[in-house]
Amino acid sequence: MGAELLVIGIDAATWAIIDRHLDKLKTFKMLKTHKEYKSKVLTLDQKPYSAPCWVSIFSGKTEEEHRHHEFVVDNEIQTRDDIKVDFIWDILKRTGKKVKALNVPFIVPPYNFNINFEAPGLGIPSNREEWDAEIAEVTNRAIETLRNENLDLFVVCYVSLDKLQHFHWGEKIVEEYYEKIDETIDKLISFGKKLIIISDHGFCAFGEAKIQTLPRITKDGTELKGDHHENAVLITKNIKTEINNLRDVFKAIKEVFK
Amino acid sequence: MKNKRQHTSITIPKILFEKIQKRIENTGFTSVSDYVTYVMREVTASLEEEEKKGQVFSKKEEEKVKQRLKALGYIK
Repeated sequence: MGAELLVIGIDAATWAIIDRHLDKLKTFKMLKTHKEYKSKVLTLDQKPYSAPCWVSIFSGKTEEEHRHHEFVVDNEIQTRDDIKVDFIWDILKRTGKKVKALNVPFIVPPYNFNINFEAPGLGIPSNREEWDAEIAEVTNRAIETLRNENLDLFVVCYVSLDKLQHFHWGEKIVEEYYEKIDETIDKLISFGKKLIIISDHGFCAFGEAKIQTLPRITKDGTELKGDHHENAVLITKNIKTEINNLRDVFKAIKEVFK
Repeated sequence: MKNKRQHTSITIPKILFEKIQKRIENTGFTSVSDYVTYVMREVTASLEEEEKKGQVFSKKEEEKVKQRLKALGYIK
């Protein structure tokens, strides 16, 4: 049971925090040092912004090509039907592969393919209770699926790190949630013969990224503590394709099932 | 105008076929094919429904989502 290829997406995970706290992040430490795994900084060649980045990861298209720029357009919350591309799961399903995707955050609520799941906090967990619920419920659903099914591809994503970093970058709570994500990855990795762990972008203090993508003060007056960064996290196991940008993840997955 | 229905064949294990034959005795199903078609339609519809679940918000939830996206800086 499990998946031939397991893809774990961690929205806004950043090496800056992981490397600084590697002594406490036992799974990341193992992934960085064990010869079975390859890890690197993936520097984005597109705007570090979740909605378009996740679509690029799973469609292999640039933001200009897939044209999904924002979660809300003209006051309308975007849905899967608004994005006119085939995702890797659509393509693989047509070739008879067994594929499921859980909580993929290119829309709100995050998208599910071939699996039923209701994301806590309406898909935008915004406080400790909802961040914990997201991590626990997504993980439980993933493990329940991987324990009972033989899948070709299973994709599972988490958004809590991104949301809490917006409000708490530089605070102790950020490290606490990296530890929770570290424990979560430990629970999942044994289910995949091949593995890709990817973040859509990193995170940083304002002024540290090449492009500022978030406002310091939001439209409703909230003060944000940090901004998206162009350096994302990439860790792989048994993946032959070289991944040098987000779209290469799509190519790497396709190559596995060629 | 002729109502031309299109069908194709699939194979299932003989043991399963025999189980279904027994199951549809004294029911409205006149053949194993009809029963399998019915079950597959139900399963497919249910999967499609499951895929859509959680994708639609009520008006109140929609406002809350937009409020949260605004607070995160995702609505400028």
